[in-house]
Amino acid sequence: MRARRLAVLALLGAVVASTVGSGGVVAANDDVGAFHQKRTVTREFVDGDERETVDRRTVTVDVDHTKNLRGRERVQVSWSGARPSAGRAVNPFGENGLDQEYPVVIMQCRGRDDASLPEAKRLRPETCWTSTVQQRSRGPVPDGSAIWRADAFATTRDGGPVSGVDALPKACGTAANGFSYRDTRFVSAKGKTFDACSEGTMPPEAAVDASFPPAEQAAFTGRDGKGQVSFEVRSRVENESLGCDQATPCSIVVIPIMGVSCKATDSRVLNGACRRKGQFAEGSSNYDGRGVDDAVSSRFWWSESNWRNRFSVPITFGPAPNVCDVLDTRAPVGFYGSELMSQATQQWAPAYCLRKDRFRFQHNVLPDNASFDLMQKDEIPGAFVSSLKKREGAAPTEYAPTAVTGFAISYVVDKPDNAGEETNLRLDARLLAKLLTQSYAGSALGRQHPGLEDNPLSLNQDPEFKALNPGLDDRSRESAAVLMNLSESSDVISAMTQYIATDREAAAFVAGKPDPWGMTINPSYRDIDLPRAEWPLLDTFRPKVEQQCLLANNDTPYLTRLAAPVTSFAKIADALIDAWPFAQTKCSGLGTDQFPFVLGRGDRQGVGSRLVLGVTTLGDAARFDLRTAALQTNELAPGKPFTSAAGRSFAAPDDASMAAAVGTAKPTRRGLPYTLDAGTLRTDKRAYPGTLVVYTAAKTSGLDRRTARTVGRFIRIATTENQRPGSGNGYLPQGYLPIRRTGATADLFRSAQQVASDVERQVGATATPGAGASGGAGASAPEAPADAPTDKAANGSTKATDDQLESLGATRSVTSVLGGWAVPLLVLLAIGCGLAAPVTRLLAARKALR
Amino acid sequence: MSIMSWASRGPGRRRDRSLVAVAQATDELPERSVLLSSALAVVSVITIWFLAQMLVLGGLEHERSQDRLYGDFRAELADGTAPTGGVVAPGRPVALMSVPSLGIQEVVVEGTSSGHLLGGPGHRRDTVLPGQAGVSVLYGRSTTFGRPFDAMLHDAVGRHLQVVTGQGRSTYRIERIRRPGDPVAAPPAEGQGRMTLVTSEGSGPLAALRPGRVVYVEASLQSKAFAPGGQRVNTIASSERPMAGDASVLPMLALTLGGLLVAVVGVVLARRRFGPLVTWTLAVPVVAALGWFAGDLALHLFPNVV
Repeated sequence: MRARRLAVLALLGAVVASTVGSGGVVAANDDVGAFHQKRTVTREFVDGDERETVDRRTVTVDVDHTKNLRGRERVQVSWSGARPSAGRAVNPFGENGLDQEYPVVIMQCRGRDDASLPEAKRLRPETCWTSTVQQRSRGPVPDGSAIWRADAFATTRDGGPVSGVDALPKACGTAANGFSYRDTRFVSAKGKTFDACSEGTMPPEAAVDASFPPAEQAAFTGRDGKGQVSFEVRSRVENESLGCDQATPCSIVVIPIMGVSCKATDSRVLNGACRRKGQFAEGSSNYDGRGVDDAVSSRFWWSESNWRNRFSVPITFGPAPNVCDVLDTRAPVGFYGSELMSQATQQWAPAYCLRKDRFRFQHNVLPDNASFDLMQKDEIPGAFVSSLKKREGAAPTEYAPTAVTGFAISYVVDKPDNAGEETNLRLDARLLAKLLTQSYAGSALGRQHPGLEDNPLSLNQDPEFKALNPGLDDRSRESAAVLMNLSESSDVISAMTQYIATDREAAAFVAGKPDPWGMTINPSYRDIDLPRAEWPLLDTFRPKVEQQCLLANNDTPYLTRLAAPVTSFAKIADALIDAWPFAQTKCSGLGTDQFPFVLGRGDRQGVGSRLVLGVTTLGDAARFDLRTAALQTNELAPGKPFTSAAGRSFAAPDDASMAAAVGTAKPTRRGLPYTLDAGTLRTDKRAYPGTLVVYTAAKTSGLDRRTARTVGRFIRIATTENQRPGSGNGYLPQGYLPIRRTGATADLFRSAQQVASDVERQVGATATPGAGASGGAGASAPEAPADAPTDKAANGSTKATDDQLESLGATRSVTSVLGGWAVPLLVLLAIGCGLAAPVTRLLAARKALR
Repeated sequence: MSIMSWASRGPGRRRDRSLVAVAQATDELPERSVLLSSALAVVSVITIWFLAQMLVLGGLEHERSQDRLYGDFRAELADGTAPTGGVVAPGRPVALMSVPSLGIQEVVVEGTSSGHLLGGPGHRRDTVLPGQAGVSVLYGRSTTFGRPFDAMLHDAVGRHLQVVTGQGRSTYRIERIRRPGDPVAAPPAEGQGRMTLVTSEGSGPLAALRPGRVVYVEASLQSKAFAPGGQRVNTIASSERPMAGDASVLPMLALTLGGLLVAVVGVVLARRRFGPLVTWTLAVPVVAALGWFAGDLALHLFPNVV
């Protein structure tokens, strides 16, 4: 009885909580959908009635988040208990991963693994994406090598010479005797069937040199049975044939390859091939792509004995980026500004536009300064900026803290000897300065540059970098001589250059003092003014080249070609996902009119020897699961050469280090940005130096009522509802520290609410403290003086709403003791006297009686 | 007899007897005690009268003034003589203010001293008239004398407030209640209008009876602003500021109290001569009128927006 009542109460509570908490948004959107599954996978050899289990493993697969994914988002897939892999390929993606033994195949498939669904909505090998024919189809293969035909679990149909299809499609050639064929066709989201047995019959997204590199991989399990990879999902935007979107459910399929389960066939050769158990030692590498035992490779992932061992992880996609354009016909309210916001606003926008009672919010990325100017000119209602801007007009402007995020130095660095990716890169301000000032020579061409003769060719050859990050290779790469950077002006560049300018070692280097190992700054950048919002390309050196192709394209300075800055952080994030540096180093063409010599972007770096760094937003880094470097948080005087990171403290971006950074922020004035710069950040060793607060800057006077209310509303929603961490519409993605009522961000929250109400009410408080702003109201009419109740009878005292901020125009308190106490006192007096009169009489009478 | 029989019953007999004894003994009490008791009773009666005048009779007075002012103002509007600016004689009606959705309608008089506010809201003389461009400031009581501005503090935000002046009809929207510490709005832009209603409220226990703190209710002009007309008064007396009393009534109060004293002495003398019935018939209206007048004057000393 009691338990039942409790249950009912709990249910009620849950209902109330969900209705209150969600505020119209679908409940449980903060659930990121972590996946965990454990199951036993086996490999069996069957001989007549004899059934021998060769290998049995209990594998656990975990996926960190699966809900509301966006295109190119990367999820962490990890597993344990799998059979250790062997013959590790350098590049596990696409067909390059085929030559490995016992890998774990991870791929994206359309549909769900649910027997209750109709056939078309279920996932099957035909809806699983692969980038090449080799991963899907085989043939012609001599019968003796057609291992899939010996699959103990294969249907009779799959056991035939032509399997996967009823009859070999014309495009795949004609079936010949003695040969076997396998065709795993691909069915697109629109229902079109691709024969997928040759390059020409693959879906268009699988074309050679497609715009996106393969995402599916045959991942490597360590000797301990564990493995972990970032798996990139593709939405309809990136892969229309696969066609995963909000309405089309998809899954990530994880198949720990155990090897094909074999039955006894007539062919001894086939039986032998099928029963092979691998020729590489556990944990070994297969650099040169030597042949492996196909039976235990990922080639036959589609064969029933592998397919039945699959884990299927249901994933859902968030709304398409254009959902607001499609579903909302209202005119958008465009906030312009910092790209730091873009991952958050991508999730926020549908929470505005899909609600009739809200407005259609839109974020257009524009440099901070430009958007602030637009806001000042009343072109846009609000601007996202990260620092105090110079006011152009007379209109007072306030800044509402809207997000705590920042920039990251993201990287892809492979450890030597096929040991996987480096995950703990550490950088200090001087290394950043060296990269930005193009002080690494890059190659022999750069060595010709006066002043760079003795400098290392690239970052990984720098003894300073080696001291902080031991154990990496020192092969020179042109891409590792620079940091992929932004060409536009941005508060991120200001913050980054300020971090350099306030570090004594880095500042000394910029001023021309060689580092302890003798490396000097590129003379073109010596004594450059820091901090600055835009990073200039100052180097004009053109090397002497001999190659015809380079000679024809030697107009652009060499180091500028390496730096090749771009216009958005999103492009840098994309380049990092693909490990594809921007450096314009690839020269091609024949020098003829038809094929002139052209200089273009170099190739993607090969997995295993990648080394590329770029500035990204923390939002992008989290969304795309990019690795982010820890930055040095203390500063030292320039000194002797060092060989370890001793004495230096570093902080990588995470919620704790961002909270520590916010903790160092100092309020300035009511409604103005907090002081959060390299100077304050270094007061806390745990504080991540790349932390930035993004503010919504808006005018507090001169806005029309409608706009003022919209901006105020946005600030309020953005700092409350939109600060709930989660992957759903209106939630805060990873890479942002939630602004909460309590804790490190409490001040920011309060300040935001204050600004919201100032903007809504267009108080237009000017920054002149106490100038007639107390009490009532100034007036534009000259004959109406400010209503300043400076009453002598009143004990006026000025109280600020926020004790941390200066009181600028707070209402003065006017009180009156008489007004406050007269009535209660009179009532008391009346009651007192009214009672005392009879009582006096009574007492006197009793006295008289005695 | 009946008291005796009632008193002789029941368990509380001893006490009851003493009560009866007291009743019988009253005539033999010492004069000092009688005097003290009577004095206390008189103080109590006066206080209750004062309270009643403040909280109850004041409401009647407010209603009556409003009735009279409405008549005057209506005539002035009809004649086109209602003030449109410049220096307006204190006490003259300047505007008719109403919040239809709250059922409030008040004639606003010029001047904000305690006495002017007895009859209804007052317009601060150094600000523009309601409906004109700029900030117009009105004071009103929240607790006493019909409490015209009490409703402004409850449930008024967001409602429309209409004002009729000699220049025409204007509509304001009540935006917010501004309390000490809240930010003050910037001056309205050129050609915009705002109205600030000044009144008082209490805090803590018995808040309703302790209106010791000034609050401001901001309303923004929604209709087109009228041109401010003529030179306004550029200075106001300290008695016209919020929470100020008006000490200028003290001489009048002294005279009235003197009159009251004369009346009382007259009553005592007349009672000996004409007997109680005639005396009280004649004296009650005189004493009541003088008492009312004295109470009114005493209330001038009270803060104006209470």
